This record gives sequence, structure tokens and C-alpha cells, in this order.
Amino acid sequence: MSELELRQSTVEASAEHIAPRGRRWPRPGTILAGGFVAFLVVATLAPSVAWTQDPNAIAPALAFESPSFAHWFGTDESGRDVYSRVVAGTGTSLLIGVTATLIGLALGLVLGLLASFAGRVFDFAVNRVIEVLFAFPGLLLALLVIVVYGPGPVTATIAVGLSTAPGYARIIRGQFVSIRSSHYVEAARVLGRSPARILGRHILPNALVPLSVLATLGIGQAIVWASALSYLGLGAQPPAAEWGAMLAAGRTYLATAPWLTAFPGLMIVGTTIATTILGRALARRGQEGR
Amino acid sequence: MPAASVTSSSFGRRSLVLAVALVATLALAGCQAPESGASDEPVQGGTLVYASGDAEPVCLDPHVGGNYPQALLASQFLESLVSRDESGEIIPWLAESWTASDDGLVWDFTLREGVVFTDGTPLDAEAVKVNVEHLQDPATQSSTGYLALGKVAEVEVVDERQARFVLSSPDSALLESLSQPWTAIQSPAGIARGMEANCEAPVGTGPFVVEDWVKQDHVSLVRNDDYSSPPADAAHDGPAYLEAIEWRFVPDAASRHAALQGGQVDVIDNPQPDTVAAVEGDDAFTWINAPRPGAANRIELNSGQAPFDDVRVREAFIRAVEVDEGIEALYFGTASRSYSALSSVEPLAYSDPSRFETDLEAANSLLDAAGWTERDADGTRLKGGQRLTLRFPVSTNQSIPAEQSLFEQVQATAKAAGFDVVIELLDLSSWYGALFANEYEIVSAPYTKVGPDVLRILYHSDSITPAPSGYFANLSQLDDPEVDALLTEAAATSDATARAELYEAAQQRILGGFYLLPLYDQQNSFLLDSAVKGARALPTVSTPTFYDAWLAD
Amino acid sequence: MLRRAVALVSGAAFVLWAVATLTFFAIRLIPGDPAQAILGGPGSQASQEALDQVRREYGLDRPLIVQYLAMLGRLLTGDLGHSYALKVPVADLLSSQLGGTMLLAVMALVVAWMLALGLSLWSTGRSRFASIIGDGIELTAAALPHFWLAGVLIAVFSSGLDWLPPVSTGTPAGFVLPVVTLAVPLAGFLAQVMRESLLDAMQQPFVLSARARGESTTGIRLRHTIRHAALPAISLSGWALGWLLSGAVVVETIFAMPGLGRTLLQAVTLRDIPVVTGVVLLVALVYVFMTVLTDLASRIADPRLRQEGAR
Repeated sequence: MSELELRQSTVEASAEHIAPRGRRWPRPGTILAGGFVAFLVVATLAPSVAWTQDPNAIAPALAFESPSFAHWFGTDESGRDVYSRVVAGTGTSLLIGVTATLIGLALGLVLGLLASFAGRVFDFAVNRVIEVLFAFPGLLLALLVIVVYGPGPVTATIAVGLSTAPGYARIIRGQFVSIRSSHYVEAARVLGRSPARILGRHILPNALVPLSVLATLGIGQAIVWASALSYLGLGAQPPAAEWGAMLAAGRTYLATAPWLTAFPGLMIVGTTIATTILGRALARRGQEGR
Repeated sequence: MPAASVTSSSFGRRSLVLAVALVATLALAGCQAPESGASDEPVQGGTLVYASGDAEPVCLDPHVGGNYPQALLASQFLESLVSRDESGEIIPWLAESWTASDDGLVWDFTLREGVVFTDGTPLDAEAVKVNVEHLQDPATQSSTGYLALGKVAEVEVVDERQARFVLSSPDSALLESLSQPWTAIQSPAGIARGMEANCEAPVGTGPFVVEDWVKQDHVSLVRNDDYSSPPADAAHDGPAYLEAIEWRFVPDAASRHAALQGGQVDVIDNPQPDTVAAVEGDDAFTWINAPRPGAANRIELNSGQAPFDDVRVREAFIRAVEVDEGIEALYFGTASRSYSALSSVEPLAYSDPSRFETDLEAANSLLDAAGWTERDADGTRLKGGQRLTLRFPVSTNQSIPAEQSLFEQVQATAKAAGFDVVIELLDLSSWYGALFANEYEIVSAPYTKVGPDVLRILYHSDSITPAPSGYFANLSQLDDPEVDALLTEAAATSDATARAELYEAAQQRILGGFYLLPLYDQQNSFLLDSAVKGARALPTVSTPTFYDAWLAD
Repeated sequence: MLRRAVALVSGAAFVLWAVATLTFFAIRLIPGDPAQAILGGPGSQASQEALDQVRREYGLDRPLIVQYLAMLGRLLTGDLGHSYALKVPVADLLSSQLGGTMLLAVMALVVAWMLALGLSLWSTGRSRFASIIGDGIELTAAALPHFWLAGVLIAVFSSGLDWLPPVSTGTPAGFVLPVVTLAVPLAGFLAQVMRESLLDAMQQPFVLSARARGESTTGIRLRHTIRHAALPAISLSGWALGWLLSGAVVVETIFAMPGLGRTLLQAVTLRDIPVVTGVVLLVALVYVFMTVLTDLASRIADPRLRQEGAR
């Protein structure tokens, strides 16, 4: 969540007016990241193509086998294939990450719009609301949501989404304010365009591209926070192979079977890095198009 | 009715008792008790650091509520009227002898002489009376102790050392109930301070005294230098060897084990099975395996509603589920499979492996016969459009990771027969909430109590009726007049043979109805730095005692 | 300046009031009976009369708005109420837990700052290779879950090398692993921001002119650009502290340290509402305080803001 908050500068830089322009070949890092994300997409849409065996098939006699040719990522405490579970967990993990990010973004967008376009009173009020939400540290907000609605993957997702909202709202508001006062909006206003048309044709498109950048950056962080809830016993439910839950469950055997946590952990880190690189590539394209 | 059981002990037999206790300690120490241990001279002084993985109690007075974490701590500073030895025999502690009337309704306890609470109040019959009243007062909010003394109508003070328990109906489990830490005897002056003060630092007669409790961190216990009341099976007389105990709360199992290895702590409880297996054969550590008494760890099948109101579906589930290999793999040989409703430490436990043989074919035909004939795309069986879904709330506070993994294996093996087991990992409050709302088909809940009377609490139909707070203990909702009759009669029978027969008949009937799937004893073990000598688990509820313990250099 | 102070104080009061109100009404949504939570929580054998007694005693039978006003009244006098589970005043409980957590969080913040500064200074404006490495380290660090990092650190530095204790011992050595666990992911974030600002600063006219004067690259970095890089990081410190308190829930559990995080987790598990409310208010107070501090710090770091006055 915070990643996004911190990348404000990147985003603001890319918040300038965007117009389509000729393509350039992407950088090698972007290609690599794209490949990784493509794998994630395959694992999400058709996990059975990528996994080597049923991710929930137990074989207690084969528990705690270290990585080998038969089990690329080893086996877990119930003898399940860790690689297949990592693949099977991609969908759930990304769903948590993406949904939480979308919830945060949507809320942030609403707050940001209200603050920027509904007058001074609203701006003041929304700013206060954002500040109040900021006063709840993320996990505390998540715990509070869980106290009210009970633990589980849905609650965890909503909780993480809510706790990211104030960060997004702040950035979005800042963006809207800078776009509103930009030259092209001024020009449109001078030309006598209606406010609705200015919002729809000029402001929203220019704000939404950077927002998609924000979204890619937030996914990994949302997964990490959801995994912390799993560690506290308040996250995804078994036998769902979710990366965070796998990481939390495997921690028990960190000393004896490190592969249980290493591979789901690498997937989370990989996803964060890949989505961040893609997000930046998007932002660059936006800047280059200036 | 036969003559009332009369037990008394002469404390002159101490040397014999001492020898027995030492043997017991060594036997308990299990894998690698040092051979020289018995002849070593105990060292005075030192602070033992204990790291507990159990939840930090919210109140140190075990009369309030009454759970296992409270019992662990209370065993260091509170004492009960009686205790239990290795063989399951009740032995003297604060009461040196007792007699029961022929009708079993009047019990006279003679208190040990010269015992003084650590606040200076003498232990007398009046103190016993105050404690029982404290337990039975609704304002105390006692649950475990309250239930255990349910048949005690009142306590009369006969004279200073004679306390008379008058019962409303005969209770063969009275002595076992009184041996538990939840019915321990506290100073009346301490109780009179009110709940807040008494929760902070209860006052007892034990070998240690609560000095300080830093919340979320530790409880400091210091030696009671005037201590004079060890249980009959203790290894020595007089004050404890240790000067103090620092009782730390270390919730994370991996940190706890690392702290033991690094020497920051001397004893840990709730070690992970894989770490116990890892230090096996290592002379630096001692493993004390002390399964809890009372009920075995088991999965209860809710027979109060569909689909488990049908005995065929219950049997099908038990036939379908395969746990032996999982227990072997997850517990690394530290736990053995149980086939009984009771813990293996209970002498009256009845075990019947034949009822729990896995047979997928039998399970399938039972389900077919019960009308669950169709299957949907997932392979889950259907009956009249209803899926064969089993909701399984699991408390993350009560089930260690290995047990949670075992439940996932239960889920996977039950799937083959067409059961859709939905595991819900919940925190304690939400877990109780699911039980209160009857939103479960299977559940696993621990229940620790000394003696087979735990069967009455868990399987008598009276325990289905919830208290206003929603609490009920009969989670399989077993409602069988014959079981009720057997358990009621057993609880009132003082003849040992007849009692054993009644409990066996009750257990046979309970197991025969496929109301539960026993897994293993309630796991309870301790890893000690081998410099800690003479520590043992009390044979009552298997809490550790450090009265005889000392630290070798 | 006075107007600014009044605005700050009234803003702070508003935040605290709103947080208290939100928490109060959010908690009323919790299924279940507070009276039962008071009577030993889940699994207790509370009788009807005991429940009624508690409802009267705690005023739970009065209308919601009356309870709300009563709570506000108590808060104004600094009374946070009694813990349902522990039966002690919440203020006493929290004041004994606040110190440890704040010490942990502040040390982690300082360490994260130093790590981030070192990393971003090293990697910025050098070869493309260095910048990719720096970027990779930062992104990886930022994606490490606390509980996993803590486990690895314990496995390596306690179980493996036996250099540091795996549980807090009250000694400085006991603080090392918890602080590092909290600081590393945060440092990843901070370094990313700092690098953006540093890159920005390197292209500023004043750097170019310094370079033209013949100052060494290191000299330029240290003299001119750190201040520039520090600014966004300072303004994030208030947020970072909240983030660290989130992490403290996990870190205090793993390293067995007393503190607000563990207290909160226990209170949540037991539905100990007064303690949850108390922790939320306390954290809000700390946040408000930090906001004021970072505001002041930014003014010191950036002279431009001093002239601008209230924005």
C-alpha cells in the first residue's frame, strides 16, 4: 500500500498530458517482467496446464521431501507438491492482491474526486477523513474490520483494501488538483467546454493511466499484508493454496524444511518486482508520450 | 453399599515415596535422563526461566474461568486438597486424610497441620469453606471449578482441621475433582481483596509466590521460604531448591525453541513435534511427555442435525477418514493414535481399534444406503439437492500447526467418499461463536479433567443445554438415555469395580454410535535444558512442577 | 505562526474525536454480547443474572447515544475505562505497554532511515548496473513479510550462529533482531523514495553549478542532495510510524516482547473492546503528534517552506 504512497513523485511526473505516439521496443527488464506476469496469467486462468499434479492430493508418506526432479519445489507437511500448490495459489493470491488494490483505488478515487471537485467544504472534510483513516495503522484497521466481521479471506481482502484507501485518496487528490490547474484544462475551459466534458475528456483519462501504474505497484504489497493476517490465523482458509497462507503455514518448519516458505516467498517478491517494473514502463510510456 | 473408601497416609513413609518419585521422574524424563541424576546432590538457588506457548492468562486465579494456561501457572503457587500419583491413585496433599459416609453424601477431610498461606493466614477448615463458596459464587465467573464441584451442597466447619463436604448426590469423582488446580485452595484473606487484586497475585500455600506480573511478558515467582506442604509423592521436604522462576510468554513456537537452544530459557512447553524429534538423542535436552488426562483429542460429529443425525453417515465419515499416516508424519512419532474417548493416562479408558478401521468401500455403500447417492462436478455427494457439506470450525488458539495440517488431511481423505469438508480457521471468540450458533458438523475441542467423569460432561444430554452465555460441552450433541443412565450411575457408584464396568459400558456405547473420531492424547510435553534436574509433571492435569527441580551447573 | 498552531491543535482534536466515534460505533457492530465478553469471554458459564448484573453495571442497558456521550465524557477526563478481560484500568495497561513499542518503533525508524540513505546514496547516479542492483534490493526488501524475515533472522543469527537471542532479554542484544526485522522492509520503501528525489536533485541547477566549480561527486552528494532527498522521507515518517506499529503486532509476538501490538492482538482475540478502543486512540494520538513533528522537521530541512507559511 505504502509503496504507492511513496511513488507519488513518479506518478505525478507521469500525470502530464498524454497523447498517443509511436512505439519503442521495451527494455530487457520489462520483457522479463512481462514473461513472469504472463506465467502468472496462465497459472491463474488455466492452473491445470502449469501444475504437475493435483495441488490438494495428500501423501503423508511423502511429507517433507526436499526439492527434486519429481517435486521441483519439494513437498509440504502433508506430502503435497509445493510447485503445484504455488501454481494453484496464483489465482487466489492475485485475486486478494488485485481485489484489495481495487477496493483501495475505488475508495480513493471517490474520496479524491469529492475533495477535488465538490468545493472547498468537501475538500476540507475529505482531507480530515483521510487524515483520520491514516491515523489507523493498516494492520490495526484490518484487525478492527476482522473483529467486526470475523476472520476469513474475504474480510482480509476488504481489510487490506480499506487500509490502503487513504494512501490512494491522498495521491489521487493531489493528481486531480494538478491536472485541474494544468494548461490544457485551462485551455478547454477558456474554449467554453462544459465541466462534465472537461472531466470526461481531459481529466479522467489523464488521471486513470497513472492510476493503473499505482494499481500494479499495490498488488504485491496487498499480498504481503494478507499473508501477515494469515500468520496471525486470520487469513485464507485451507486447503486453498494461497501464497501468504503457505508462507504462514510453512514458517513452523522454517529450520527443517525451508523450501516450504522459500518458494511462495519468491513468488510474492517476484510478483511485486514484476508488476513494479511493468508499472514503471507504463509510466515511462506516459512520459515519453508528452 | 460397601464400606466407604478410607485413605490415609503416614508421612513417615517418605523415603519410600521419595524413591518412587525419583523413579517416576526418570521414567517421565523419557528419552535421555542422565544416569547420574539420582545420585546428584541438588543445588540450592538459581532462577529457572520457563517459556510458555500457551496463551497468557487474563487472570492468575484459576477459580476465575478456569483454563489450562491458568492451571500451568497456578501449579507453581497454589495447592489442592489432594493429588494423584503415577498409578492414578488419589494421594494426600493439603488434606492428610479423608473419610466418606456409607451413602457417599458426607465427606470429612482432615487438613494437614501447621500449613500457612504465604500471606500468613493459617490453613483451616474455614478457608476450605470460603474457597468452595468462592468457586460457587456466580460473581467469581468460575467455569471449570464450578462444574467440578457441582454436587457439593455446602462445606461445614467441624473443627479447625476438619472440613465436611455435604453433597446433594453421591459423587465418585469428588476426589479427582478436588485434585485439580482449578479447585485449589487460596488464602481467604487473599480472596477477600476482590477480583482485581486476586487475579494479579493469588495467595496460596505453594512452593513459590507470585511477586510480579508484567503483562504480555512474564510472571515473576519467588521461593516460599516457609513452605511445608509438598504432595505425598514429592521427592523432598521443606522449601524448593530454586530461588525463583521467571515465567515468560513466548507465543511463537520457533522462537521458543530457538531460545531454549540458545540458553535464554531453561524449559519450554508446547514444543513442535519436529523439533522434539530433532533433539532426540541429544544429551543437551530432556523431553518430558505428559499427555493430559480427561478426554483424548478427538473430532466430534454433531449428531444434533443433518447429516450426522443419521448413524450411517457418521460411520461413513469415520470409515472414510484416514489419519494414521498423517499422525505419523506430522508428529514424528511423538504421538500415538488413540482409539478411545479418554486419555491413555486414565486407567478406565476403553479402547477399541476395530471401530475405527478405514474402509472407503464401506463408507461409500453406507452413504448410498443413507440416500446420498448423487454426486456433483466436484465429486461431493448430494441428497435431494443438498450437498454433503461438513463445516469444521478450527480454533487457531487451540490447534497447533501440525493438528491443523492433520485436519487438512482429514478434509482430503473424506473428499474421496464425497464429503465436502469446509475448514474454517477462527480465533477463539469466533470459534465459540460458530459452536453457539450450531454452525458446525464436525469440531475438535480439548477438555481436560482428572478422571473418567469427563465423559459425563462431554456426553451426558444435560450438557447439550447451553448456559445463557451459550456454552455447552456436549459438542457431538449425543442424546442417548442409556448413555445418560450409565454415566449418572457411574458417577454415583463408589465401588471401584462396579464403577469401572459402568464406564466401560458407557464408552462402548459412545464409540459404537460413531459420535467421535479419536486422534491421540491431548498433547502436552516439555523440553528442558538437561541442566534442569528433578522437574516433573504432576499426575493430576499434567502441569509441570518445579518444587523438586534444581539447576546443575 | 499562532494561526498555524491553532489549526494544528484543532485538527488534532478533530482526528481524535473522529477516531473515538468511529471505533465506538464500529465496535457496536460486533456480533455478540459485550456483557458476555466481560464475564470471562467465550466458553464461560455465565448465568442470566450475572449477565443482567454486568449490563447494569457497565450501562450496557442504556440507549446507545447515552453510552456514546458517556464514553466521550469519560475520554475528556482521560478515563479509558476498564479492560473486560484483565479487569484493570485500560490507561494503566497501555501506559505500561507504550514504552516498549515506541522504543522499538523509533529505533526501527532510525535504522531504516540509515539503511535507506546509505543504499540510495550508493546506488544513485552511478552505473546503470548499480542502480539495477539497488533497485532490486529495495524492491525485495519491501516485499518481505515481517514474520518470514524474523524466522530467517532467528534461524541464521540465533539457532545458526548463536550471536543474538531469539527472544527479547531486556538487554540491547535482544533488541537487534526485532529492530532489523522491522527496519529492513521499511528501508526498502524509504530508499525508493529517496532515490527518486536524489535523481531529481542531481539534475538541479545547483548541482550542475557545484560540479562546474569542481566539487567531487561525493561532496555534492553529501552537501547538496541529502537534504533534498530527506524531505519526502521526513514527510513520510508519520505514516512510517503507523506502518511500524502494524509490524509491531507481528514482531512483538515472534520475539516475545511486551508491547501495544501484542496487547492489541490479545484484545482482538478476546473482544476486549475498551482495550481495542484505547489502543486505537493511543495510536491516533501518536500519529497526530508525529504529524506535527514531521511538519516542523520539513520546515527545518526545507527553508522554502518556512517562508511560504501555512498552506
